[in-house]
Amino acid sequence: MAANNSAREQGMLWKREDPGGKMSAPTADERKACWGARDRYWQCLDESDKDSSECQKLRTIFEGSCPQQWIKYFDKRRDYLKYKEKLQSGGFQQQEKVTKP
Amino acid sequence: MGRDEMRRGAENGGERGIEMGKSLDIMEPLNQLPGQGRGYQELNQPGMFAAMIVKGHNSCWQRLRGSVSFLRSGSSHVGRSGGLALRHARCLSNGHSGMKTLRIAGSKGWHLQSTSIITDCNQKINHWGSNQSYCFYTNEMGLIIETLAIPSSQINGTDPNYPLASLQVNPQLTICKASSQPMREKPHFQIQGRLLMAHNLPGLSSLPLVHISLGCPTFLPHRLFSQSASDRSSRSPQISLWSKFMVTCFFGSAVMGLWYYVYLEKKQQEKVKRQEQLKKLALGQGDFNLLDHTGKSRTKKDFFGKWVLLYFGFTHCPDICPDELDKMSSVVQILDKDRAPTPVQPIFITVDPERDGVEEMAKYIKDFHSRMIGLTGTPEQIKDLGKAFRVYYSAGPKDEDNDYIVDHTIIIYLLNPDGLLTDYYNRSKNDQEIAESIRSHMKNYVDLFS
Repeated sequence: MAANNSAREQGMLWKREDPGGKMSAPTADERKACWGARDRYWQCLDESDKDSSECQKLRTIFEGSCPQQWIKYFDKRRDYLKYKEKLQSGGFQQQEKVTKP
Repeated sequence: MGRDEMRRGAENGGERGIEMGKSLDIMEPLNQLPGQGRGYQELNQPGMFAAMIVKGHNSCWQRLRGSVSFLRSGSSHVGRSGGLALRHARCLSNGHSGMKTLRIAGSKGWHLQSTSIITDCNQKINHWGSNQSYCFYTNEMGLIIETLAIPSSQINGTDPNYPLASLQVNPQLTICKASSQPMREKPHFQIQGRLLMAHNLPGLSSLPLVHISLGCPTFLPHRLFSQSASDRSSRSPQISLWSKFMVTCFFGSAVMGLWYYVYLEKKQQEKVKRQEQLKKLALGQGDFNLLDHTGKSRTKKDFFGKWVLLYFGFTHCPDICPDELDKMSSVVQILDKDRAPTPVQPIFITVDPERDGVEEMAKYIKDFHSRMIGLTGTPEQIKDLGKAFRVYYSAGPKDEDNDYIVDHTIIIYLLNPDGLLTDYYNRSKNDQEIAESIRSHMKNYVDLFS
């Protein structure tokens, strides 16, 4: 949460509120920016591991480009994709290690 | 004897391939002229199968002399000549009951001077010791029943300088020598009216060089192993490799054609079944009354007469809805190019009516196809519509921004001009496939009502 707060405090693109206080949906450009940041972040994760500072930087950018719900969603999606990969390549002995699909 | 008889005889004789013994050393005597060879001493030399058992054969057998020399490809004896001489060839017409002829085959790998054997040996001709060959006769069970030693002394000379030539040694003999080219032709030996054929057996270059199989009987007294013999191969009863290949191709393509036809039939049946099922489900019945993104009220009737693509989603969707709407736009574009009389109408319906009002819809869909219409309404209206189309949707938990993600089925629905659900497409179908499917539905629909 703290990281998200800091990203939001930096006045990132996607945070836009209508007069009614509702969050409006990202536009097409904002979506593309978000997807780009996500792809770069995921690429970094694929190449190195989570703890490298490079990936952390990309994570911050990623969190700044996308609505929070999307970040949660994309994180869950990445877990799912990794789990699927493990299943497909590693066979079934991996199952007990993974928490949930 | 006519040629046909010969051919038939050859076919009846069958082809029992017989491998020759191992590659043999060059037979010195082969280079020698008649009379200079050794005597019959070899006969007296013991070898494993030195017994000269000639039983039940014509006495001519005993006069059968011959030896063979084989040159293995790549052997060091390259360049040496080999030669085989058979004498008293006409005697060979008698002897074995049943198997009467020999076909001589040469390995394709033969690129050296090599020889062919003409004997009546029904099994291997093995070379033991120098300059001596043995012929084994086996019965049906493959047991050696007798052997015959073939002394080389009777070999007459050959001429190594003649490619694919034969040398008349005496009226009964033919000495045959393969050329340095691989034997492509099927030289025939016509002996006493029967054919003796040679054919190539691929892949035998590592094996003993001469392959004898049984075929038609006997030899003519003499025969030139020459071009004219090769010509006869075209009339041989043997089927050329080319025709075998063509026949195989023909049958193969026939089988494949049949398979393909059955496959198409199956696809057609699947399609019909699917449509039946959809009709039975009768999804999307009932009318709706929703607001489009311009604020205009729309009912189902407004879309009669048009093919409609429906997608249920919401504007806050992270990636799936934009992807699917892009796909839908692409499908409509593809079908627009077809210049169909009725253009396809893409519709985006929100499953998040609390957030997606008219304005939000307008803002959202302008990124997609120009004809796309966005529909929204009250939550109750959307719920009824969702029930009619069996669309699952469920809003997730709200976070501190009151943002949430709506989980929903990811399906594009196709409605025909009568407003009936005709087909549906999930994420695995790409735009080309969907366009193709719509085209075929359009065609079927037109056929029904024309």
